[in-house]
Amino acid sequence: MTAAVSTTALTKRYKQRLAVDAVDIELPVGVVSGFVGPNGAGKTTTIQLLLGLCRPTSGTAQVLGRPISDPASYLGRVGALIEAPSFYPSLSGRRNLEVLTRLGRIDSRRIPEVLELVELSDRANDFVRAYSLGMKQRLGVAAALLPNPELCILDEPTNGLDPAGIREMRSVIRGLADRGITVFVSSHLLAEIEAICDHLVMIDSGRIVFQGGVDKLIGAQQSEIVATPEHPADAPALAALCIAAGRPASVTGDDVRVQAPQDWAAELNRQAMAGGITLRGLAVVRASLEEAYFAITEGPQEPA
Amino acid sequence: MLGAFSSEWIKLRRRAMLLWGLGGGLFFAVLATVFTIERATKTFTFPERGHGIRVTFAVLEQPDGLVHGVVDVSTLIGIVALCLFAGAFATEYSQGTMRNLLVREPRRVKLLCGKFLALAVFIGVAVILEIVISSAVALALAPGRGITTSAWTSSTGLRDLGDATLHVYLASVGYGLLGAALGVLLRSPGVAIGTAVAYVLPGEAIIVAAIWSNGDHWLPGRLLSALSQGGTSDVSYSHALVTLLVYAVVISVGILALFRRRDA
Repeated sequence: MTAAVSTTALTKRYKQRLAVDAVDIELPVGVVSGFVGPNGAGKTTTIQLLLGLCRPTSGTAQVLGRPISDPASYLGRVGALIEAPSFYPSLSGRRNLEVLTRLGRIDSRRIPEVLELVELSDRANDFVRAYSLGMKQRLGVAAALLPNPELCILDEPTNGLDPAGIREMRSVIRGLADRGITVFVSSHLLAEIEAICDHLVMIDSGRIVFQGGVDKLIGAQQSEIVATPEHPADAPALAALCIAAGRPASVTGDDVRVQAPQDWAAELNRQAMAGGITLRGLAVVRASLEEAYFAITEGPQEPA
Repeated sequence: MLGAFSSEWIKLRRRAMLLWGLGGGLFFAVLATVFTIERATKTFTFPERGHGIRVTFAVLEQPDGLVHGVVDVSTLIGIVALCLFAGAFATEYSQGTMRNLLVREPRRVKLLCGKFLALAVFIGVAVILEIVISSAVALALAPGRGITTSAWTSSTGLRDLGDATLHVYLASVGYGLLGAALGVLLRSPGVAIGTAVAYVLPGEAIIVAAIWSNGDHWLPGRLLSALSQGGTSDVSYSHALVTLLVYAVVISVGILALFRRRDA
Protein backbone atom coordinates (compact mmCIF):
# COMPACT_ATOMS: atom_id res chain seq x y z
CA MET A 1 0.00 0.00 0.00
CA THR A 2 1.60 3.26 -1.15
CA ALA A 3 -1.11 5.71 -0.09
CA ALA A 4 -3.33 5.76 2.99
CA VAL A 5 -5.97 7.56 0.96
CA SER A 6 -6.18 7.76 -2.78
CA THR A 7 -8.99 9.41 -4.71
CA THR A 8 -9.55 9.69 -8.45
CA ALA A 9 -11.89 12.34 -9.85
CA LEU A 10 -13.97 12.09 -6.67
CA THR A 11 -17.05 14.24 -7.10
CA LYS A 12 -20.04 15.06 -4.92
CA ARG A 13 -22.89 17.17 -6.17
CA TYR A 14 -25.86 18.32 -4.04
CA LYS A 15 -28.54 19.34 -6.51
CA GLN A 16 -27.05 22.45 -8.18
CA ARG A 17 -24.05 22.74 -5.88
CA LEU A 18 -20.81 20.98 -6.67
CA ALA A 19 -19.34 20.37 -3.20
CA VAL A 20 -16.38 18.26 -4.32
CA ASP A 21 -15.19 18.60 -7.89
CA ALA A 22 -13.12 15.79 -9.44
CA VAL A 23 -10.72 15.61 -6.53
CA ASP A 24 -7.51 13.60 -6.82
CA ILE A 25 -5.79 13.12 -3.47
CA GLU A 26 -2.86 10.90 -2.48
CA LEU A 27 -2.08 10.80 1.23
CA PRO A 28 1.23 9.19 2.10
CA VAL A 29 1.28 6.56 4.83
CA GLY A 30 2.66 7.45 8.27
CA VAL A 31 2.66 11.23 7.98
CA VAL A 32 0.46 14.02 9.27
CA SER A 33 -1.40 15.52 6.32
CA GLY A 34 -3.17 18.82 6.69
CA PHE A 35 -6.39 19.57 4.86
CA VAL A 36 -6.97 23.29 4.53
CA GLY A 37 -9.41 25.49 2.73
CA PRO A 38 -11.95 28.20 3.43
CA ASN A 39 -15.34 27.41 4.95
CA GLY A 40 -17.53 25.68 2.40
CA ALA A 41 -14.54 24.59 0.31
CA GLY A 42 -15.51 20.92 0.51
CA LYS A 43 -13.31 19.65 3.35
CA THR A 44 -16.06 18.06 5.44
CA THR A 45 -17.81 16.60 2.40
CA THR A 46 -14.53 15.02 1.26
CA ILE A 47 -14.03 13.56 4.74
CA GLN A 48 -17.61 12.25 4.77
CA LEU A 49 -17.02 10.58 1.41
CA LEU A 50 -13.88 8.90 2.75
CA LEU A 51 -15.80 7.63 5.78
CA GLY A 52 -18.66 6.21 3.72
CA LEU A 53 -21.13 8.67 5.27
CA CYS A 54 -22.20 9.92 1.86
CA ARG A 55 -21.96 8.49 -1.62
CA PRO A 56 -19.91 10.08 -4.37
CA THR A 57 -21.73 11.36 -7.42
CA SER A 58 -18.82 10.04 -9.50
CA GLY A 59 -15.18 9.06 -9.16
CA THR A 60 -13.50 6.49 -6.98
CA ALA A 61 -11.47 6.42 -3.80
CA GLN A 62 -9.57 3.96 -1.68
CA VAL A 63 -8.89 4.17 2.03
CA LEU A 64 -6.18 1.87 3.40
CA GLY A 65 -6.31 0.04 0.09
CA ARG A 66 -10.04 -0.65 0.20
CA PRO A 67 -12.74 1.01 -1.91
CA ILE A 68 -15.02 3.55 -0.24
CA SER A 69 -17.98 1.64 -1.68
CA ASP A 70 -17.26 -0.95 1.05
CA PRO A 71 -16.64 1.11 4.20
CA ALA A 72 -17.05 -1.92 6.48
CA SER A 73 -13.82 -3.32 5.02
CA TYR A 74 -11.65 -0.46 6.33
CA LEU A 75 -13.49 1.61 8.96
CA GLY A 76 -12.42 -0.81 11.70
CA ARG A 77 -8.90 0.53 11.14
CA VAL A 78 -9.93 4.17 10.91
CA GLY A 79 -10.63 6.67 13.68
CA ALA A 80 -12.61 9.79 12.93
CA LEU A 81 -13.74 13.04 14.46
CA ILE A 82 -16.31 14.65 12.21
CA GLU A 83 -17.11 18.36 12.52
CA ALA A 84 -18.36 19.31 15.97
CA PRO A 85 -18.02 16.46 18.48
CA SER A 86 -21.44 14.89 19.06
CA PHE A 87 -22.25 12.84 22.13
CA TYR A 88 -25.17 11.82 24.31
CA PRO A 89 -25.35 14.65 26.86
CA SER A 90 -27.02 12.55 29.55
CA LEU A 91 -24.34 9.86 29.45
CA SER A 92 -20.89 10.20 30.99
CA GLY A 93 -17.82 10.50 28.79
CA ARG A 94 -16.88 6.92 29.64
CA ARG A 95 -20.39 5.64 28.79
CA ASN A 96 -20.33 7.51 25.50
CA LEU A 97 -17.12 5.73 24.57
CA GLU A 98 -18.64 2.43 25.71
CA VAL A 99 -21.49 2.94 23.21
CA LEU A 100 -18.86 3.06 20.47
CA THR A 101 -16.72 0.16 21.72
CA ARG A 102 -19.75 -2.12 21.93
CA LEU A 103 -20.96 -1.03 18.51
CA GLY A 104 -17.58 -1.47 16.85
CA ARG A 105 -16.68 -4.60 18.85
CA ILE A 106 -13.60 -2.80 20.22
CA ASP A 107 -11.87 -3.99 23.39
CA SER A 108 -13.33 -1.87 26.23
CA ARG A 109 -9.89 -1.77 27.86
CA ARG A 110 -9.07 0.90 25.27
CA ILE A 111 -11.44 3.31 27.04
CA PRO A 112 -9.17 4.20 30.00
CA GLU A 113 -6.17 4.28 27.69
CA VAL A 114 -7.64 6.87 25.32
CA LEU A 115 -9.13 8.88 28.17
CA GLU A 116 -5.67 9.05 29.70
CA LEU A 117 -4.20 10.08 26.36
CA VAL A 118 -6.53 13.08 26.05
CA GLU A 119 -6.30 13.81 29.79
CA LEU A 120 -9.97 13.28 30.55
CA SER A 121 -9.62 10.46 33.07
CA ASP A 122 -10.58 12.69 35.98
CA ARG A 123 -13.84 13.79 34.35
CA ALA A 124 -14.68 10.49 32.64
CA ASN A 125 -17.66 9.78 34.88
CA ASP A 126 -19.23 13.24 34.53
CA PHE A 127 -22.18 13.75 32.21
CA VAL A 128 -21.08 15.08 28.84
CA ARG A 129 -23.58 17.94 29.21
CA ALA A 130 -21.27 19.30 31.91
CA TYR A 131 -18.23 19.27 29.59
CA SER A 132 -16.78 22.41 28.06
CA LEU A 133 -16.43 22.51 24.27
CA GLY A 134 -12.74 21.80 24.63
CA MET A 135 -13.43 18.71 26.73
CA LYS A 136 -15.95 17.48 24.18
CA GLN A 137 -13.34 18.02 21.49
CA ARG A 138 -10.86 15.93 23.45
CA LEU A 139 -13.50 13.26 24.01
CA GLY A 140 -14.05 13.28 20.24
CA VAL A 141 -10.36 12.63 19.69
CA ALA A 142 -10.51 9.87 22.32
CA ALA A 143 -13.41 8.30 20.41
CA ALA A 144 -11.40 8.47 17.20
CA LEU A 145 -8.50 6.67 18.85
CA LEU A 146 -10.62 3.83 20.27
CA PRO A 147 -9.99 1.32 17.49
CA ASN A 148 -6.21 1.91 17.65
CA PRO A 149 -6.45 3.20 14.11
CA GLU A 150 -3.98 3.02 11.24
CA LEU A 151 -5.54 6.17 9.85
CA CYS A 152 -7.01 8.96 11.95
CA ILE A 153 -9.21 11.54 10.24
CA LEU A 154 -9.78 14.63 12.36
CA ASP A 155 -12.09 17.38 11.16
CA GLU A 156 -11.20 20.66 12.90
CA PRO A 157 -9.91 19.04 16.13
CA THR A 158 -8.78 22.37 17.58
CA ASN A 159 -12.18 24.05 17.29
CA GLY A 160 -13.17 25.53 20.62
CA LEU A 161 -9.85 24.82 22.30
CA ASP A 162 -7.98 27.48 24.23
CA PRO A 163 -4.29 28.07 23.44
CA ALA A 164 -3.21 25.48 25.99
CA GLY A 165 -5.72 23.00 24.56
CA ILE A 166 -4.45 23.67 21.05
CA ARG A 167 -0.92 22.99 22.18
CA GLU A 168 -2.04 19.75 23.85
CA MET A 169 -3.91 18.70 20.70
CA ARG A 170 -0.79 19.39 18.65
CA SER A 171 1.15 17.17 20.97
CA VAL A 172 -1.51 14.42 20.74
CA ILE A 173 -1.43 14.55 16.93
CA ARG A 174 2.36 14.48 16.80
CA GLY A 175 2.23 11.55 19.22
CA LEU A 176 -0.03 9.67 16.82
CA ALA A 177 2.39 10.26 13.97
CA ASP A 178 5.27 9.07 16.14
CA ARG A 179 3.37 5.81 16.63
CA GLY A 180 3.15 5.35 12.88
CA ILE A 181 -0.49 6.39 12.56
CA THR A 182 -1.36 8.31 9.42
CA VAL A 183 -3.24 11.46 10.38
CA PHE A 184 -5.42 13.53 8.06
CA VAL A 185 -6.37 16.69 9.88
CA SER A 186 -8.47 19.55 8.61
CA SER A 187 -8.15 22.95 10.19
CA HIS A 188 -8.59 26.58 9.40
CA LEU A 189 -5.73 27.45 11.75
CA LEU A 190 -2.92 27.61 9.23
CA ALA A 191 -0.24 28.17 11.84
CA GLU A 192 -1.32 24.93 13.54
CA ILE A 193 -1.23 23.03 10.29
CA GLU A 194 2.22 24.42 9.55
CA ALA A 195 3.41 23.37 13.00
CA ILE A 196 2.21 19.77 12.88
CA CYS A 197 1.91 18.70 9.24
CA ASP A 198 4.47 17.21 6.90
CA HIS A 199 2.11 17.08 3.95
CA LEU A 200 -0.65 19.37 2.83
CA VAL A 201 -3.79 19.23 0.74
CA MET A 202 -5.42 22.55 -0.14
CA ILE A 203 -8.96 22.72 -1.37
CA ASP A 204 -10.90 25.70 -2.64
CA SER A 205 -14.40 25.68 -4.13
CA GLY A 206 -14.34 21.89 -4.22
CA ARG A 207 -11.11 21.66 -6.21
CA ILE A 208 -7.64 20.70 -5.03
CA VAL A 209 -5.35 23.68 -5.54
CA PHE A 210 -2.21 22.18 -4.00
CA GLN A 211 -0.98 18.95 -2.50
CA GLY A 212 2.50 18.00 -1.47
CA GLY A 213 5.06 18.70 1.23
CA VAL A 214 4.61 21.79 3.36
CA ASP A 215 8.25 22.76 2.67
CA LYS A 216 7.64 22.42 -1.05
CA LEU A 217 4.73 24.81 -0.86
CA ILE A 218 6.47 27.37 1.27
CA GLY A 219 9.73 27.00 -0.65
CA ALA A 220 7.90 27.79 -3.87
CA GLN A 221 6.87 31.14 -2.47
CA GLN A 222 9.10 34.15 -3.02
CA SER A 223 10.91 34.92 0.21
CA GLU A 224 11.61 38.44 1.32
CA ILE A 225 14.93 39.98 2.31
CA VAL A 226 14.86 42.88 4.72
CA ALA A 227 17.91 45.11 4.57
CA THR A 228 18.45 47.99 7.00
CA PRO A 229 21.03 50.63 5.99
CA GLU A 230 23.18 52.15 8.71
CA HIS A 231 21.86 55.60 7.69
CA PRO A 232 18.10 55.67 7.01
CA ALA A 233 18.65 58.29 4.32
CA ASP A 234 20.33 55.58 2.22
CA ALA A 235 17.17 53.44 2.06
CA PRO A 236 15.79 54.90 -1.22
CA ALA A 237 19.19 54.51 -2.89
CA LEU A 238 19.42 50.90 -1.73
CA ALA A 239 15.92 50.16 -3.04
CA ALA A 240 16.90 51.68 -6.38
CA LEU A 241 19.99 49.43 -6.51
CA CYS A 242 17.78 46.35 -5.98
CA ILE A 243 15.27 47.42 -8.61
CA ALA A 244 18.13 48.04 -11.06
CA ALA A 245 19.23 44.44 -10.35
CA GLY A 246 15.76 43.19 -11.31
CA ARG A 247 14.43 42.63 -7.80
CA PRO A 248 11.18 44.36 -6.70
CA ALA A 249 11.93 46.46 -3.62
CA SER A 250 10.20 49.00 -1.44
CA VAL A 251 11.11 51.21 1.50
CA THR A 252 9.24 50.62 4.73
CA GLY A 253 10.40 52.95 7.49
CA ASP A 254 14.15 52.46 7.82
CA ASP A 255 14.03 49.10 6.02
CA VAL A 256 14.20 48.07 2.42
CA ARG A 257 12.08 45.00 1.65
CA VAL A 258 13.24 43.04 -1.38
CA GLN A 259 11.36 40.19 -3.07
CA ALA A 260 14.12 37.70 -3.82
CA PRO A 261 15.25 34.16 -3.03
CA GLN A 262 17.09 33.89 0.24
CA ASP A 263 20.52 33.25 -1.39
CA TRP A 264 20.31 36.68 -3.02
CA ALA A 265 20.98 38.21 0.39
CA ALA A 266 24.74 37.87 -0.21
CA GLU A 267 24.42 39.61 -3.58
CA LEU A 268 22.38 42.39 -1.95
CA ASN A 269 25.13 42.88 0.59
CA ARG A 270 27.73 43.15 -2.20
CA GLN A 271 25.60 45.58 -4.20
CA ALA A 272 25.11 47.78 -1.14
CA MET A 273 28.84 47.78 -0.39
CA ALA A 274 29.65 48.61 -4.03
CA GLY A 275 27.15 51.49 -3.84
CA GLY A 276 28.78 52.84 -0.68
CA ILE A 277 25.96 51.82 1.63
CA THR A 278 26.71 50.10 4.89
CA LEU A 279 24.08 47.72 6.20
CA ARG A 280 23.38 47.37 9.91
CA GLY A 281 20.80 44.59 9.37
CA LEU A 282 20.12 41.89 6.82
CA ALA A 283 17.46 39.24 7.35
CA VAL A 284 15.66 36.69 5.24
CA VAL A 285 11.94 36.40 5.98
CA ARG A 286 10.65 32.99 4.95
CA ALA A 287 7.07 32.89 3.60
CA SER A 288 4.59 31.45 6.08
CA LEU A 289 2.00 28.85 5.21
CA GLU A 290 -0.60 31.56 5.53
CA GLU A 291 1.12 33.69 2.92
CA ALA A 292 1.55 30.67 0.66
CA TYR A 293 -2.09 29.76 1.16
CA PHE A 294 -3.36 33.18 0.20
CA ALA A 295 -0.92 33.39 -2.69
CA ILE A 296 -2.51 30.23 -4.07
CA THR A 297 -6.15 30.78 -3.20
CA GLU A 298 -6.25 34.46 -4.12
CA GLY A 299 -3.96 34.23 -7.13
CA PRO A 300 -4.60 32.42 -10.42
CA GLN A 301 -5.41 28.79 -9.65
CA GLU A 302 -3.47 26.02 -11.25
CA PRO A 303 -4.16 22.29 -11.11
CA ALA A 304 -2.16 20.44 -8.49
CA MET B 1 -26.23 -6.61 14.93
CA LEU B 2 -25.35 -7.77 18.42
CA GLY B 3 -23.02 -4.76 18.78
CA ALA B 4 -25.79 -2.34 17.81
CA PHE B 5 -28.20 -4.10 20.18
CA SER B 6 -25.74 -4.02 23.05
CA SER B 7 -24.70 -0.39 22.54
CA GLU B 8 -28.32 0.74 22.38
CA TRP B 9 -28.92 -0.72 25.82
CA ILE B 10 -26.44 1.73 27.33
CA LYS B 11 -28.65 4.56 26.07
CA LEU B 12 -31.86 2.85 27.18
CA ARG B 13 -30.60 2.67 30.74
CA ARG B 14 -30.49 6.45 30.98
CA ARG B 15 -32.69 7.94 33.67
CA ALA B 16 -34.88 9.82 31.18
CA MET B 17 -35.49 6.68 29.17
CA LEU B 18 -36.42 4.71 32.27
CA LEU B 19 -38.66 7.52 33.47
CA TRP B 20 -40.56 8.06 30.23
CA GLY B 21 -40.20 4.66 28.56
CA LEU B 22 -41.07 2.53 31.56
CA GLY B 23 -42.81 5.08 33.74
CA GLY B 24 -45.05 6.53 31.03
CA GLY B 25 -46.79 3.28 30.12
CA LEU B 26 -46.84 2.17 33.75
CA PHE B 27 -48.58 5.39 34.76
CA PHE B 28 -51.36 4.89 32.21
CA ALA B 29 -51.73 1.18 33.01
CA VAL B 30 -52.01 1.65 36.77
CA LEU B 31 -54.24 4.71 36.45
CA ALA B 32 -56.62 2.87 34.13
CA THR B 33 -56.72 -0.15 36.43
CA VAL B 34 -57.50 1.96 39.49
CA PHE B 35 -60.20 3.94 37.69
CA THR B 36 -61.77 0.83 36.15
CA ILE B 37 -62.11 -0.90 39.51
CA GLU B 38 -63.03 2.14 41.58
CA ARG B 39 -65.68 3.27 39.10
CA ALA B 40 -67.14 -0.20 38.46
CA THR B 41 -70.86 -0.63 39.22
CA LYS B 42 -72.82 -3.68 40.25
CA THR B 43 -75.36 -3.21 37.49
CA PHE B 44 -75.16 -1.48 34.13
CA THR B 45 -76.05 2.21 34.22
CA PHE B 46 -76.21 4.64 31.37
CA PRO B 47 -73.39 7.13 31.67
CA GLU B 48 -74.17 10.57 33.00
CA ARG B 49 -73.44 13.46 30.69
CA GLY B 50 -69.69 13.96 30.47
CA HIS B 51 -68.84 10.62 32.09
CA GLY B 52 -67.72 7.44 30.36
CA ILE B 53 -69.45 4.07 30.51
CA ARG B 54 -68.76 2.35 33.81
CA VAL B 55 -67.79 -1.27 33.60
CA THR B 56 -69.92 -3.68 35.65
CA PHE B 57 -68.76 -6.12 38.31
CA ALA B 58 -69.94 -8.97 36.07
CA VAL B 59 -67.59 -7.90 33.28
CA LEU B 60 -64.66 -7.49 35.66
CA GLU B 61 -65.28 -10.86 37.24
CA GLN B 62 -64.66 -12.60 33.91
CA PRO B 63 -61.25 -14.34 33.48
CA ASP B 64 -60.01 -11.42 31.35
CA GLY B 65 -61.25 -8.82 33.84
CA LEU B 66 -57.83 -8.56 35.47
CA VAL B 67 -56.35 -6.64 32.54
CA HIS B 68 -59.49 -4.80 31.53
CA GLY B 69 -58.07 -1.42 32.47
CA VAL B 70 -54.69 -2.01 30.79
CA VAL B 71 -56.30 -3.14 27.53
CA ASP B 72 -58.52 -0.06 27.61
CA VAL B 73 -55.45 2.21 27.57
CA SER B 74 -53.34 0.04 25.28
CA THR B 75 -53.43 2.77 22.63
CA LEU B 76 -51.85 5.19 25.10
CA ILE B 77 -49.24 2.57 25.99
CA GLY B 78 -48.63 2.23 22.26
CA ILE B 79 -48.24 5.99 21.90
CA VAL B 80 -45.56 5.92 24.59
CA ALA B 81 -43.74 3.25 22.54
CA LEU B 82 -44.19 5.31 19.39
CA CYS B 83 -42.64 8.38 21.04
CA LEU B 84 -39.78 6.30 22.46
CA PHE B 85 -38.88 4.76 19.09
CA ALA B 86 -39.32 8.00 17.12
CA GLY B 87 -37.19 9.88 19.66
CA ALA B 88 -34.49 7.19 19.76
CA PHE B 89 -34.00 7.26 15.99
CA ALA B 90 -34.57 10.95 15.25
CA THR B 91 -32.37 12.16 18.12
CA GLU B 92 -29.37 10.36 16.62
CA TYR B 93 -29.73 12.70 13.66
CA SER B 94 -30.62 15.88 15.52
CA GLN B 95 -27.71 15.64 17.98
CA GLY B 96 -25.28 14.43 15.31
CA THR B 97 -24.45 11.05 16.86
CA MET B 98 -25.66 9.05 13.85
CA ARG B 99 -22.37 9.77 12.07
CA ASN B 100 -20.36 8.41 15.00
CA LEU B 101 -22.48 5.26 14.95
CA LEU B 102 -22.08 4.81 11.20
CA VAL B 103 -18.31 5.13 11.42
CA ARG B 104 -18.19 2.32 13.99
CA GLU B 105 -20.90 0.23 12.31
CA PRO B 106 -21.03 1.02 8.59
CA ARG B 107 -23.32 -1.94 7.88
CA ARG B 108 -26.40 0.18 8.07
CA VAL B 109 -29.01 -2.57 8.00
CA LYS B 110 -27.36 -4.24 10.98
CA LEU B 111 -27.18 -0.94 12.83
CA LEU B 112 -30.84 -0.17 12.26
CA CYS B 113 -32.04 -3.71 13.05
CA GLY B 114 -29.90 -4.00 16.20
CA LYS B 115 -31.17 -0.67 17.48
CA PHE B 116 -34.79 -1.59 16.71
CA LEU B 117 -34.42 -4.96 18.38
CA ALA B 118 -33.03 -3.37 21.56
CA LEU B 119 -35.96 -0.95 21.67
CA ALA B 120 -38.40 -3.82 21.05
CA VAL B 121 -36.93 -5.77 23.98
CA PHE B 122 -37.08 -2.64 26.16
CA ILE B 123 -40.74 -2.16 25.28
CA GLY B 124 -41.31 -5.85 26.04
CA VAL B 125 -39.89 -5.35 29.52
CA ALA B 126 -42.06 -2.24 29.90
CA VAL B 127 -45.26 -4.05 28.85
CA ILE B 128 -44.57 -6.98 31.18
CA LEU B 129 -43.95 -4.55 34.06
CA GLU B 130 -47.14 -2.67 33.24
CA ILE B 131 -49.20 -5.87 33.18
CA VAL B 132 -47.62 -7.31 36.34
CA ILE B 133 -47.91 -4.13 38.40
CA SER B 134 -51.40 -3.21 37.20
CA SER B 135 -52.51 -6.82 37.86
CA ALA B 136 -51.12 -6.57 41.37
CA VAL B 137 -52.98 -3.29 41.86
CA ALA B 138 -56.20 -4.87 40.54
CA LEU B 139 -55.84 -7.88 42.82
CA ALA B 140 -55.25 -5.56 45.78
CA LEU B 141 -58.19 -3.22 45.07
CA ALA B 142 -60.87 -5.61 43.77
CA PRO B 143 -61.75 -7.43 47.05
CA GLY B 144 -62.24 -4.10 48.78
CA ARG B 145 -64.95 -3.22 46.25
CA GLY B 146 -66.55 -6.64 46.53
CA ILE B 147 -65.38 -7.85 43.09
CA THR B 148 -64.77 -11.62 42.98
CA THR B 149 -61.32 -12.37 41.59
CA SER B 150 -61.29 -16.16 41.55
CA ALA B 151 -61.68 -16.28 37.73
CA TRP B 152 -58.61 -14.07 37.30
CA THR B 153 -56.30 -16.69 38.74
CA SER B 154 -57.95 -19.66 37.04
CA SER B 155 -56.14 -21.34 34.13
CA THR B 156 -58.38 -19.46 31.68
CA GLY B 157 -57.65 -16.21 33.49
CA LEU B 158 -53.89 -16.77 33.35
CA ARG B 159 -54.14 -17.65 29.63
CA ASP B 160 -56.11 -14.46 29.03
CA LEU B 161 -53.46 -12.55 30.96
CA GLY B 162 -50.74 -14.02 28.71
CA ASP B 163 -52.77 -13.26 25.58
CA ALA B 164 -53.38 -9.68 26.66
CA THR B 165 -49.67 -9.22 27.36
CA LEU B 166 -48.82 -10.54 23.90
CA HIS B 167 -51.44 -8.40 22.17
CA VAL B 168 -50.43 -5.21 23.96
CA TYR B 169 -46.76 -5.99 23.25
CA LEU B 170 -47.29 -6.68 19.54
CA ALA B 171 -49.33 -3.52 19.18
CA SER B 172 -46.67 -1.52 21.05
CA VAL B 173 -43.95 -2.82 18.70
CA GLY B 174 -46.21 -1.89 15.79
CA TYR B 175 -46.59 1.65 17.14
CA GLY B 176 -42.82 1.62 17.70
CA LEU B 177 -42.16 0.67 14.08
CA LEU B 178 -44.33 3.56 12.95
CA GLY B 179 -42.38 5.89 15.25
CA ALA B 180 -39.01 4.51 14.10
CA ALA B 181 -39.97 4.96 10.44
CA LEU B 182 -40.99 8.57 11.01
CA GLY B 183 -37.86 9.18 13.10
CA VAL B 184 -35.59 7.99 10.29
CA LEU B 185 -37.64 9.76 7.64
CA LEU B 186 -38.03 13.14 9.33
CA ARG B 187 -34.78 13.18 11.38
CA SER B 188 -36.23 15.52 14.00
CA PRO B 189 -37.67 14.12 17.26
CA GLY B 190 -40.22 16.91 17.68
CA VAL B 191 -41.48 16.72 14.11
CA ALA B 192 -41.51 12.91 14.06
CA ILE B 193 -43.36 12.54 17.37
CA GLY B 194 -45.76 15.37 16.58
CA THR B 195 -46.59 13.94 13.16
CA ALA B 196 -47.05 10.41 14.49
CA VAL B 197 -49.23 11.37 17.43
CA ALA B 198 -51.32 13.76 15.34
CA TYR B 199 -51.89 11.05 12.75
CA VAL B 200 -52.68 8.19 15.12
CA LEU B 201 -54.88 10.02 17.60
CA PRO B 202 -57.04 12.70 15.96
CA GLY B 203 -55.92 12.05 12.37
CA GLU B 204 -57.31 8.57 11.87
CA ALA B 205 -60.44 9.35 13.90
CA ILE B 206 -61.20 12.25 11.55
CA ILE B 207 -60.53 10.11 8.49
CA VAL B 208 -62.92 7.42 9.72
CA ALA B 209 -65.59 9.87 10.84
CA ALA B 210 -65.52 12.18 7.85
CA ILE B 211 -64.01 10.42 4.85
CA TRP B 212 -63.66 6.67 5.07
CA SER B 213 -66.11 4.82 7.27
CA ASN B 214 -64.43 1.50 6.47
CA GLY B 215 -61.05 2.88 7.58
CA ASP B 216 -61.18 0.83 10.79
CA HIS B 217 -60.29 -2.21 8.71
CA TRP B 218 -57.28 -0.70 6.95
CA LEU B 219 -55.79 2.27 8.81
CA PRO B 220 -52.69 1.21 10.78
CA GLY B 221 -53.56 3.03 14.01
CA ARG B 222 -57.06 1.53 14.05
CA LEU B 223 -55.67 -1.93 13.31
CA LEU B 224 -53.08 -1.58 16.09
CA SER B 225 -55.83 -0.62 18.49
CA ALA B 226 -57.82 -3.71 17.45
CA LEU B 227 -54.71 -5.88 17.76
CA SER B 228 -54.00 -4.68 21.29
CA GLN B 229 -57.53 -5.63 22.34
CA GLY B 230 -57.22 -9.08 20.77
CA GLY B 231 -59.71 -8.08 18.05
CA THR B 232 -62.92 -6.07 18.23
CA SER B 233 -66.49 -6.66 17.13
CA ASP B 234 -65.67 -4.85 13.86
CA VAL B 235 -62.11 -6.01 13.16
CA SER B 236 -61.03 -9.57 13.83
CA TYR B 237 -57.68 -10.29 15.47
CA SER B 238 -56.42 -12.31 12.51
CA HIS B 239 -57.35 -9.60 10.00
CA ALA B 240 -55.59 -6.96 12.10
CA LEU B 241 -52.50 -9.15 12.55
CA VAL B 242 -52.11 -10.14 8.89
CA THR B 243 -52.78 -6.64 7.54
CA LEU B 244 -50.35 -5.12 10.03
CA LEU B 245 -47.70 -7.69 9.13
CA VAL B 246 -47.98 -6.63 5.49
CA TYR B 247 -47.69 -2.97 6.52
CA ALA B 248 -44.70 -3.80 8.74
CA VAL B 249 -42.86 -5.54 5.88
CA VAL B 250 -43.55 -2.66 3.47
CA ILE B 251 -42.51 0.02 6.00
CA SER B 252 -39.40 -1.93 7.06
CA VAL B 253 -38.21 -2.49 3.49
CA GLY B 254 -38.83 1.16 2.61
CA ILE B 255 -37.05 2.53 5.66
CA LEU B 256 -34.10 0.14 5.33
CA ALA B 257 -33.70 1.12 1.67
CA LEU B 258 -33.85 4.82 2.56
CA PHE B 259 -31.41 4.44 5.46
CA ARG B 260 -28.94 2.47 3.32
CA ARG B 261 -28.86 4.96 0.49
CA ARG B 262 -29.26 8.31 2.19
CA ASP B 263 -26.27 10.50 3.04
CA ALA B 264 -25.68 10.72 6.78
